[in-house]
Amino acid sequence: MPLPNLVRLVYRNIAVNTDPGSLIILIGLPGMYLIFFGLGFQSITSGDASGTSYLAFLTPGILAFQVVMAGTVGGSMLWADRRWGMLAQLLSGPFTRLEYLLGIMFTSMLWGLGGTAVMLGVAFAILGTVPTAPVALAVIFGTIVLGSVFFGALMLFIAALVKSNTAYNSVQILLIFVVNFASTVFYPLSSGLPIVLRALFQINPLTYVADAVRGGYSSTFSVGDGYQVLVLVAETVVILALAVRAYLRSDLSYE
Amino acid sequence: MDRASVRADVTLDSASPAISAENLRHTYDGHHFALDGVSFTVRKGEVFGLLGRNGAGKSTLIKAMTTLIQPTSGTLRVLGMDPARDGQKIRQRIGVVQQGESFDFTTVQGNLDVYGVLWGIPKADRVRRREALLARFELTEVRKRRAFDLSGGQKRRVQVAREFMHDMEILFLDEPTVGLDVIMRRTLLDSIRAEVQRGLTVVFTTHNLEEADYLCDRVAVIDEGRILMLDEVENLKRLYGGKKTIDLTVAGGDPTTYFARLRDALGSGATLKTNATAAVILTDDPKQTLAAIVDLSRTLEVQIVWLNVRTNTLEDVFLRSVQHREAGSATP
Repeated sequence: MPLPNLVRLVYRNIAVNTDPGSLIILIGLPGMYLIFFGLGFQSITSGDASGTSYLAFLTPGILAFQVVMAGTVGGSMLWADRRWGMLAQLLSGPFTRLEYLLGIMFTSMLWGLGGTAVMLGVAFAILGTVPTAPVALAVIFGTIVLGSVFFGALMLFIAALVKSNTAYNSVQILLIFVVNFASTVFYPLSSGLPIVLRALFQINPLTYVADAVRGGYSSTFSVGDGYQVLVLVAETVVILALAVRAYLRSDLSYE
Repeated sequence: MDRASVRADVTLDSASPAISAENLRHTYDGHHFALDGVSFTVRKGEVFGLLGRNGAGKSTLIKAMTTLIQPTSGTLRVLGMDPARDGQKIRQRIGVVQQGESFDFTTVQGNLDVYGVLWGIPKADRVRRREALLARFELTEVRKRRAFDLSGGQKRRVQVAREFMHDMEILFLDEPTVGLDVIMRRTLLDSIRAEVQRGLTVVFTTHNLEEADYLCDRVAVIDEGRILMLDEVENLKRLYGGKKTIDLTVAGGDPTTYFARLRDALGSGATLKTNATAAVILTDDPKQTLAAIVDLSRTLEVQIVWLNVRTNTLEDVFLRSVQHREAGSATP
């Protein structure tokens, strides 16, 4: 019995878009953040009032960072397929446009989950402990799935709108920078932040991902974190709808 | 959905056309029509050629038939189905070789394998097809190289070979022989012919009129979004190609007088272009012309060194039809 179209597309995305070099870079980069930022800043800070070290604070943030990396994988796949003629080739095959889009989204999600699992291994090597409670892991991986879908959809939205690979790469670099550093991945949201920056933190979906993952990681997931996840769900639905609309309307034809 | 259930959706008798188009129009910008009232049918099991210059509308027509674009107006049916409504069902039964490059970023063998997976071909069948195609398209030696590192001709062969990884009822080939050398071009055309004998319908666009002549059962000449002529190749050559061409070279005697007398003998039914010892004759009646050539050579004691009668080529037909259109005439 043939595999469903979606599974075939995900297989293809993984088989042709995951050479060992890019795999190491994409999964290794967050690990480098953890090692360089975590160990570097820990050496000059004494942690917070509760005694949590900077490394322990940063680790769940870096897990959350995986969703941004997963999103960039999705956007890059769409652009690569457009650039190398495979988008039109696949869409003149047995697939619908929506199946193709979902194939990329699922692949992004798998990247996010795989990267998170690797990061947990790195965290264990550095900290000597990682959460193992089923609820904590469910919160962490559930939030990663949601975040991967959000950022996957966001990158696909951008990839469908821009007209060149260079433009896409420029927007992607800018977005990764702003999204990462205007979130609670690297530092907590404090009242000492300028009001504009604080507002940027609060509208940044990565903040919601990081806070929820941090709640799961430290087994302090609360009703407040639950509300944050709901906000993330709402944002994901909106960006997903926008991405699908932009993608279905984009020019996929070949010349 | 598997192929068996798709086939059950639409039942076509053998007389039904594989493709039918009626008054198709398509515009990208709302002003200029890339297709401007195109009507035709493609019969099952035939090779249907689309000939035309760059920008004539061939690729737009292919895109419409392969469901990549929806025509602005008109009626199109592929395998009895409406591309606007049954796009996926149609695509499950066709194959497309695009005009431009399209590869996955992996080896030649990997491209074929992944494509087989995408089309749901079981592993054993996939390996069997892959090996046969690598051999048939002379790609075995480069099977481990990345497709993007190959020469232009090799890349084209990979693209065509890849499409044969799955079964199909209609194969769309958008200029498939670009960049191929003469031998590989003939290998490809013969492969297509073999598939046609097994029942495949082929829609084929090309600039190369020789290969259209070699491969196509019927051709449509398209220009500025309109079909200028459509018929069997031989009919087109007969109806529109008009005259036959005779190449003649002589020696000895007085060639100038010989050619002058020949021109008089042939009258208005033929035209001669001559130099000192050679002539190219366009004639409606090659039999009479040949008789005159031989008779006069005996009378004037001129020796015939070279004599060749050429059938008109599709190139003659194409050039005439486009020239007539540019001159404002509806038909040649």
